[in-house]
Amino acid sequence: MTSQIDAAQIWLLSPELSVVLLSFLVLGLDLVTRRKTLVWAVAFFGLLVPLALTLSLTFDWFGPRPTTGFFGMLTTDSYALFFNYLFLVIGFSVVLVSFQYVEKFLRATPGEYYAIILMSLAGMMLMGGTGELITIYIALELTSIPLYILAGLARRDGRSAEAAIKYVLLGAMSSAILLYGMALLYGATGTTDLTEIAKTVTTLGSGNLMVLAADIFIFAGFGFKISAVPFHMWAPDIYEGAPTPATLFFSVGSKAAGFAALVRVFVFGGLFAHSDVYLWVVLAIVAALTMTLGNIVALVQTNIKRMMAYSSIGQAGYLLLGLAAIAIHDEPVGTTAVLVFLVVFVVTNIGAFTGIIALADATGKENIRDFDGFGRRSPWIAAGMAFCLLALAGIPPMAGFLSKLFIFFTAWGQGSALTFLVILGLINSTISIVYYANVVWRMYVIEPEKKERIPVPGSVSLTMALAVIGIFALTIVIGILMTQAAGGAGSLIQVLGH
Amino acid sequence: MLTAIVFLPLLAGVIVLLAPERSARWIAAIFTGGVFLLSLWLYFGLLGGSFGDVAHPQWYEHLDWINLQVGTTTFRVDYALGVDGLSILMLILNALLSFLAVIGSWNIQPRQKLYMALLLFLETGVAGVFASFDLFLFIFFWEVELIPMFLLIGIWGGARREYAAWKFLLYTLIGSVFTLGGIFILYFQAGGKSANFQYLSVAGPQITGTIPFFGAALSLPVVIFILICVAFAVKLPMWPVHTWLPDAHTEAPTAVSVLLAGILLKMGAYGLIRIGFGFLPQGLEPIAAWLGIIGAISVLWGAGASMVQKDMKRMIAYSSVSHMGYISLGVAAAAVATSAGNLDFRQAALTGAALQMVTHGAITGMLFFCVGVLYDRAHTREIDIFGGIGKVMPFLMLLYSFACFTSLGLPGGGGFVAEYLTFTGSYATLPVQTIFAVFGVVLTAGYLLWMLRRSFYGALNVKWAWLTDATLRERAILVSLAVVILLIGIFPGPFVDVMTPSLQHILSTAQLVAAR
Repeated sequence: MTSQIDAAQIWLLSPELSVVLLSFLVLGLDLVTRRKTLVWAVAFFGLLVPLALTLSLTFDWFGPRPTTGFFGMLTTDSYALFFNYLFLVIGFSVVLVSFQYVEKFLRATPGEYYAIILMSLAGMMLMGGTGELITIYIALELTSIPLYILAGLARRDGRSAEAAIKYVLLGAMSSAILLYGMALLYGATGTTDLTEIAKTVTTLGSGNLMVLAADIFIFAGFGFKISAVPFHMWAPDIYEGAPTPATLFFSVGSKAAGFAALVRVFVFGGLFAHSDVYLWVVLAIVAALTMTLGNIVALVQTNIKRMMAYSSIGQAGYLLLGLAAIAIHDEPVGTTAVLVFLVVFVVTNIGAFTGIIALADATGKENIRDFDGFGRRSPWIAAGMAFCLLALAGIPPMAGFLSKLFIFFTAWGQGSALTFLVILGLINSTISIVYYANVVWRMYVIEPEKKERIPVPGSVSLTMALAVIGIFALTIVIGILMTQAAGGAGSLIQVLGH
Repeated sequence: MLTAIVFLPLLAGVIVLLAPERSARWIAAIFTGGVFLLSLWLYFGLLGGSFGDVAHPQWYEHLDWINLQVGTTTFRVDYALGVDGLSILMLILNALLSFLAVIGSWNIQPRQKLYMALLLFLETGVAGVFASFDLFLFIFFWEVELIPMFLLIGIWGGARREYAAWKFLLYTLIGSVFTLGGIFILYFQAGGKSANFQYLSVAGPQITGTIPFFGAALSLPVVIFILICVAFAVKLPMWPVHTWLPDAHTEAPTAVSVLLAGILLKMGAYGLIRIGFGFLPQGLEPIAAWLGIIGAISVLWGAGASMVQKDMKRMIAYSSVSHMGYISLGVAAAAVATSAGNLDFRQAALTGAALQMVTHGAITGMLFFCVGVLYDRAHTREIDIFGGIGKVMPFLMLLYSFACFTSLGLPGGGGFVAEYLTFTGSYATLPVQTIFAVFGVVLTAGYLLWMLRRSFYGALNVKWAWLTDATLRERAILVSLAVVILLIGIFPGPFVDVMTPSLQHILSTAQLVAAR
């Protein structure tokens, strides 16, 4: 750890830094030009800069580099880079798919909208890239505060305002709980650095109540972000109320960021290794509740965005199942399973929401009923959306099946403790197919009231095409992806000295 | 080569979606026909040599796909495709019936393009099931078939299509849950290194042990076997989980019924023989007598239900339940009390069951096509309202009667060979079940002949005098299936020889396990 800030450390931070700068640029550009396409293009193509910088970090283009910077606050290991790529993918697709919607439904000038998204994106990237509690908290707030604004951005819509207020209140509470947990952890270990925590915590002995309380509070704090039951109440209302592209951003970005930080703190901070006796029970119970409630409540939804909210709660349940597996045996394979699932979830969810956005762009409607005959009114988007929904349901030939299989497989490998949970997971995936298939059924089987074609803007079609291609590619290269993810997780293990 | 057979239909499906509406059926026909020729080439390429068994598959294609070994856990899925004697006939049958299904739905309306694409996707899924040589790949393809079939029934089905499609979906899904659970246990119990069929065929039979269950100690292989075979039992379908079948078959459009009965049910039978019996003979043996009983019940239940059906198609659907019961019986007879010897009889029973997969596929396919021809004209399938229509449809009557006769096991047709082999074999090991099941043949004769008499024979009901006979296209389909059936009936030798090494391998594995 170097004691002064030099160019190399700036380089480590450069992807996040460039996203923040881009955000200011977009905001400023909005003041001087009225051309919305230009603002959009700057936001979209500007994201190539952080991508290039992340690539340069990955392949050490500018020579060897330190892995930590800023006194250990920044940790640019392969895990962080992995999440950088994931969030950049999210950033690209959200900006791409928003173009039409912002034009049509948001009073906000596009500059505001894209700037907010980019700001939040920088926070998300930081959440995967920090090795220190305070920085994680700051990154979390950097992620969340723009999201509160984003939820309320549809100013003419009462539901949007309601969503924003709810989000702010619940988000503030979750932040407070998280801080409380972090304070307890600091009290117990005397440090906020995760590497130091990992060392100190082992000396405290298993069953230290203070650490356990800290674990639970921290988990609860992130539980809001990943919408784990019982901290999920905000999700359906906010998904429904927010502008649809923003909903996409919540569902993939916020969730991925939550898991990035959760894995970082618990695996990197050695908390799983320390109190494995109790923690996996908590995780297992929460996982069971999350997937069951998410999938069952999704069955009876009439609004597609609410359905997607509950579906993503269900998906979070599978991810927590993977976390519970890591909590029992801290093996890279478990982390790998979680990361791979996360990637596949992000890509498929982008595709599914793109379909919803396409319909909303044209008609402004977002009930499941409104998808009647979508397969005829917009064959290509419907095919892509059906494909993504079925991938979410975990039906082959999509990558969703493999990633889910992989999580179940890892959990099953942890001995008899999680067997029950895997069976519950299997039952839940069956339930989930019913509501996903219901949308597909409506799109293809039910005759629409109106027959005319739905015009789809090119940007939406492009996003859909990329998502579908992404899923196909993931299916084929999932083997390679797993080694990649294992590298990310493996670096965590190395630091822990396993 | 195998990759081409499995994925060409998928490619064709995408092309169909991209191409204009009018060319959809031509593209589908060309591709399914091409795949059929490819699968025949596969067959003739092996003719003369051995068709191999599970340990020595011919035409084996293998690539590492997912292989992650970290710590104590290995997750490994190979992209492994192979054919042996058991699967090659099913691959050919799948290709043939898919081709005929495209021809048979030449004028389907509406949304022909989507229909053809879904048929092609279905063909890919089914071919993948028969060709995969890795258990995870197998279940991967197993689920592919689900959504195309769901939509095919849902969009082009009859009046109660919504009910039938959802029932089909839910039954299949619930079965898959158990199977996937079972596959997990099998994978880990077999060493957790590989799910390749060649590996499992050695490692699977070595699984022993018990698991506690509310105080009782259940045999682990038996539990795994039952779990894995739930999906197969649903698909087969075995009594009492057969109730989705009459609805799905009755509501589906003609060509889809043909594929359902001809191919999709055989996926269950194939899984039962290849995975259930092949990898877990020690799991099947203790419960084989029960499987035999379920088989006999299926035979009688299906036949009895067929007797009272008013709808022609529903009657044939129930007859499928009955005929698939013979397969359960044959497998059970081959597996029961393995240490007792009787290898020849076991071989006969298993061969009969495996041959029944092929013959029933062809015969039931033909029956459904016949009903389809009639329904296309009369728009009803009620048996009683016809009468003497053989006078106006002599060609259809001839072929319909032929299909019925072979279905009820008249010598000369393929059905006779399969059933005869099954019964001779199973009588030696499961006499009681066999005696009951044989009455199924009598009942089959009863309902089929009764149906023929009421609708085709006797005095012409003048109300139906306007019906026209089968067109050239329909005749071509029916005749080609009749040729296949006759071929199996008159020269069963080549067909049996193809399967023998595979089945012998399964039986000798079972024998070794029993001797242990």
